[in-house]
Amino acid sequence: MESIAKQKIIEDLLPQKFGKAGKIWVGALLFICAIGFFAYYRQLSKGLVVTGMRDYASWGIYISNFVFFVAISLVGSLITAVLRLSDVHWSTPLTRIAEIIAVSAITFASIIIIVDMGRPDRFYNLFLHGRLQSPIVWDVIVITTYFFVSLLLLYFPMLPDLAILMKFKEKTGAGLNKIYSFLGAFWKNTPVQIHISEKAINLLSVTIIPVAFAIHTVTSWLFATTYRPGWDSTNFGAYFISGAFLVGAGGVVVAMFVFRKAYHLEKYITDSHFDKMGKVLVLLALLYLYFNVNEFLVPAFKMKKPEEEHLLGLFTGEFATVFWFAITTAMIIPILILLFKKGRKPLPAFVAGCLVVIGSWFKRYLIVTPTLLHPFLPMQDVPASYRHYFPSWEEWAIAIGSLAGALLIITLFARIFPIIPIQETITETEQHENENA
Amino acid sequence: MKMKMHSRLLFSALLLQLIGIAAFAQTAKNDLSLSVSYFNSNNQVQYLVAHAKSKIDGKFQMIPNINVSFYIGSESPSNLLGKGVTNNKGECLVLIPPAAKSEWNKSAKPGFIVVSQATKQFDESKGNFDVTKAKIQIDTAADKKITAVLLELKDTAWTPVKDVDVRIAVKRLGGDLDVAETPTYATDSLGMVSAEYKRDSLPGDAKGNITIVAKVEDNDLYGNLSSEKIVSWGKYYPYKSEFDKRTLFARRGKSPIWLELIAYSIVAAVWAVLFYLFGQIRKLKRLGI
Repeated sequence: MESIAKQKIIEDLLPQKFGKAGKIWVGALLFICAIGFFAYYRQLSKGLVVTGMRDYASWGIYISNFVFFVAISLVGSLITAVLRLSDVHWSTPLTRIAEIIAVSAITFASIIIIVDMGRPDRFYNLFLHGRLQSPIVWDVIVITTYFFVSLLLLYFPMLPDLAILMKFKEKTGAGLNKIYSFLGAFWKNTPVQIHISEKAINLLSVTIIPVAFAIHTVTSWLFATTYRPGWDSTNFGAYFISGAFLVGAGGVVVAMFVFRKAYHLEKYITDSHFDKMGKVLVLLALLYLYFNVNEFLVPAFKMKKPEEEHLLGLFTGEFATVFWFAITTAMIIPILILLFKKGRKPLPAFVAGCLVVIGSWFKRYLIVTPTLLHPFLPMQDVPASYRHYFPSWEEWAIAIGSLAGALLIITLFARIFPIIPIQETITETEQHENENA
Repeated sequence: MKMKMHSRLLFSALLLQLIGIAAFAQTAKNDLSLSVSYFNSNNQVQYLVAHAKSKIDGKFQMIPNINVSFYIGSESPSNLLGKGVTNNKGECLVLIPPAAKSEWNKSAKPGFIVVSQATKQFDESKGNFDVTKAKIQIDTAADKKITAVLLELKDTAWTPVKDVDVRIAVKRLGGDLDVAETPTYATDSLGMVSAEYKRDSLPGDAKGNITIVAKVEDNDLYGNLSSEKIVSWGKYYPYKSEFDKRTLFARRGKSPIWLELIAYSIVAAVWAVLFYLFGQIRKLKRLGI
């Protein structure tokens, strides 16, 4: 490959300083995070009473947010591991986007769990006195494991890029160069190092799939091991995993569009990528729709008394608006958009991706809270506020703050590191040229 | 004048209608069916049970809260055995007091009468049962054979009764369990039935004791008779407490071994891979220096 072309790829993919829009974006995210911190300070000082959660709805949008973060983090395994092991090369420019989404999401999944605790200072007791029999302990173990697997899967493919970045000190700046040097100064691109790195990436790709399945299955078991209407299902593991792949893929499509636009990456994230990711998204939306039909039609067909109240609440009652909004935006409309070739162009695909992400967040809320408000025993002699749940402004601020925090990690990562793997792009371009020659 | 006539006619018609409604209301009372059953438990405790039922909306229903009085021989205050109120099953039980002994001894077939007081819904009602004095005796052999003899008091002698169904069973908490496939046996000319105990490893008490019972149930002549015998044919199952054992619902550190093996194996396998990869990073560093 000619060095000019190689040089062009490197220049195109080097991290870029924030422009005006980037600065506003980071400032806005920091502002939202600051409001979230203030709300959390209020929650810490006054207790969970500042939230809308009471005796019955003891899990609100914090836990919905947790499930959402865990779900979206699964995309790392889909794009990086599943497609890599399937020898699918078109996904190469998307791997790092998927991995950083996974790492930031799983980080905030851990944080939001602590936020949900009334006494976070007692968090260590979970490790000191946790019961191995409890799915909550399994969740802690598997989230920690998934975080490190994702981090390694982000790190190993980035080693050759760090060596490249260090060569462009004048463009990246001395401060960033110290980070690159700390992380990858030892990378000399020798055949032995490349062999070790490739072996490690393959091993991680194999490892991350069961760990990713475990993380979301265990999260589903937090609910399904409890005998309650809406949660008492053997379908929950697969239902959660299919939904997680959908929201993760939706998140990647959104990020693809934003990075392509912000960093002018049209040559690397092409229309073809949107077309292919659009097809993946349709498949996943149909799969999730199938699991939803199973999850709701089967109990609705039987209409057991305790289930009836819960299901009618979702279909026609208190939660009907949110329910049909979630089903429509997370699945129906994206399917209708992306089924057509024109719908898989960047902008419509971006819109579909946004709908999937927004709808999926509300879907997680519907999984968590309505069940808690429909206990087997009737709610008697309780204040009216116990019968319903609506998040307080503190909860909204913290939840939105956590989402902003995850976006901030992704944004800062893209500022520091190349969001599209440079070395892999060069290698694949060379291979492509050699095949053509 | 004509107006006055009309008013009188109208008044008479209304009065007639009211009388009709009242008469209908009186006849709307339901019939109460009252019956009485005689029980002799283990040839020791004698008691009576009254049953109150009524046909409402085309089907019989048990009637609670009916005051009933039990008599022996005749319905006189001196023959009163006891009083009671029917429960939700429409039943009321009274033990036959020792004071009724002389009246009991007067006749070979003493009669029992149960009388209910009139209520708003029901008229006074009566039921009666003349019992033929009888007893049942149970015996067992070492080879787990059970025999029972049904005897009837004729004049002053106990004589065997032929062709009466006797049930042989084991007393359990929720009811009686048949000792073999056949639930009841008909008495022979000696008034005897025999059955074989075919239950295996039936839980007994701390000594393995179980109670065998021979019963005559709802017989038109003898009522309900039963006789019991305790035998050591059961098996002692000592209570095994699951408290503080390794179970899924136990406290921390008491999880089942299989769960610990699976969970720790998975964690160890995955983290072995991660530590191997951390080692590979060190190796890469060494190679690059």
